[in-house]
Amino acid sequence: MADKRVTIQATRYDPDRDSAPRMQSYDIPFYDESMVVLDALNYIKNHVDGSLSFRWSCRMGICGSCGMMVNGTPKLTCNAFVRDYWPRAIHVGPLNNFPLIRDLVIDMDDFMHKLKSIKPWVIRKQELPLGAGEHRQTNQQIDEFRQFSECINCMLCYAACPVYGLNNEFLGPAAIALARRYNLDSRDQGLKERLPVIGDAEGVWECSFVGECSVVCPKGVDPAKAIQQTKLDTTMRFVLPYGNRD
Amino acid sequence: MPSPHRGEGQGEGQGVKEYRWRMPANWWTRTRHYFLYVAREFTAVPMALWLIWLLYEIKLAGNGPSGYYPPRSAAFLAFSAVVLLFALYHSYTFLKLAGVIIRVKVLDRSIPPRVIVMAMFGAWAAASVVVGFVLIWFAR
Repeated sequence: MADKRVTIQATRYDPDRDSAPRMQSYDIPFYDESMVVLDALNYIKNHVDGSLSFRWSCRMGICGSCGMMVNGTPKLTCNAFVRDYWPRAIHVGPLNNFPLIRDLVIDMDDFMHKLKSIKPWVIRKQELPLGAGEHRQTNQQIDEFRQFSECINCMLCYAACPVYGLNNEFLGPAAIALARRYNLDSRDQGLKERLPVIGDAEGVWECSFVGECSVVCPKGVDPAKAIQQTKLDTTMRFVLPYGNRD
Repeated sequence: MPSPHRGEGQGEGQGVKEYRWRMPANWWTRTRHYFLYVAREFTAVPMALWLIWLLYEIKLAGNGPSGYYPPRSAAFLAFSAVVLLFALYHSYTFLKLAGVIIRVKVLDRSIPPRVIVMAMFGAWAAASVVVGFVLIWFAR
């Protein structure tokens, strides 16, 4: 095992020196069958080239920080095993469709702005006094939105979405899935505040159902489902009598 | 808000220089999934052409049966066969996705997507039989 080696081809970009991103190859030990691509990057950072920049945090598929393109597919690098690619070289690049700040670090400002625009929190018309107790929900009410609440904001779905790649005004898969998560929550009363954003031409109606967002989602959120169901719901609100009621 | 897609090259964002990518024209060849998606969307083009032709034929037929000669050339029949294949593929992909989109509840329990898809294909088959029957009946 100690003799096995793997080649990591990482995208490098120094905004002060490079006019465009370039590739750099690293030949490193494949020291453990449980080694993931993030381990390989950390090995490079600690032992070979300390200037390589990338984001990571939890190493267990929870924080959503380490999303990168692994051999052209958006992946959480903490969840991409080297053994699945070995003995071929592994190409690691920054997430597609986002501006590149340095090496494997992307500018996520656009995503954060969109996330905030759908107001991803429980909105009440009038808050109940604390003395009234908690908002109770049945298991069935929780099951309505549970799947869409699993999103970890890793942005893999944006990197996989050609619609967002072609038009970055598109609200995008994760933001719409999260909007649906709150719209389906029995405690929430903020649908009308979110409708102008999600029902906009650059909202759900920009999506042409490629479906790749759901394929790459590491948490099984299925944003494509959230978007298509929102299209149907907003249409029903428009055509049905009393459909626009709260 | 800096746009990631205003042409490829360096630009300013977050107060620092950034590199902005542009989607290549051949993005749809990157993965099989993208290719099948574009194929699905492309099937609408020949179907639209065939329907425009159908409208034209209906207009001609409106002048009366005496001067109307429906096209019978081999090229047209081949084109129609190809369009039929495209229509079948488009319908198949559309109905297959119905289970993702439609949510139906009976007695507070959600109908499984598989059942919805099967119901859609059943309705499609029934509608095809009815339309086929009507066309054959009037053609006699």
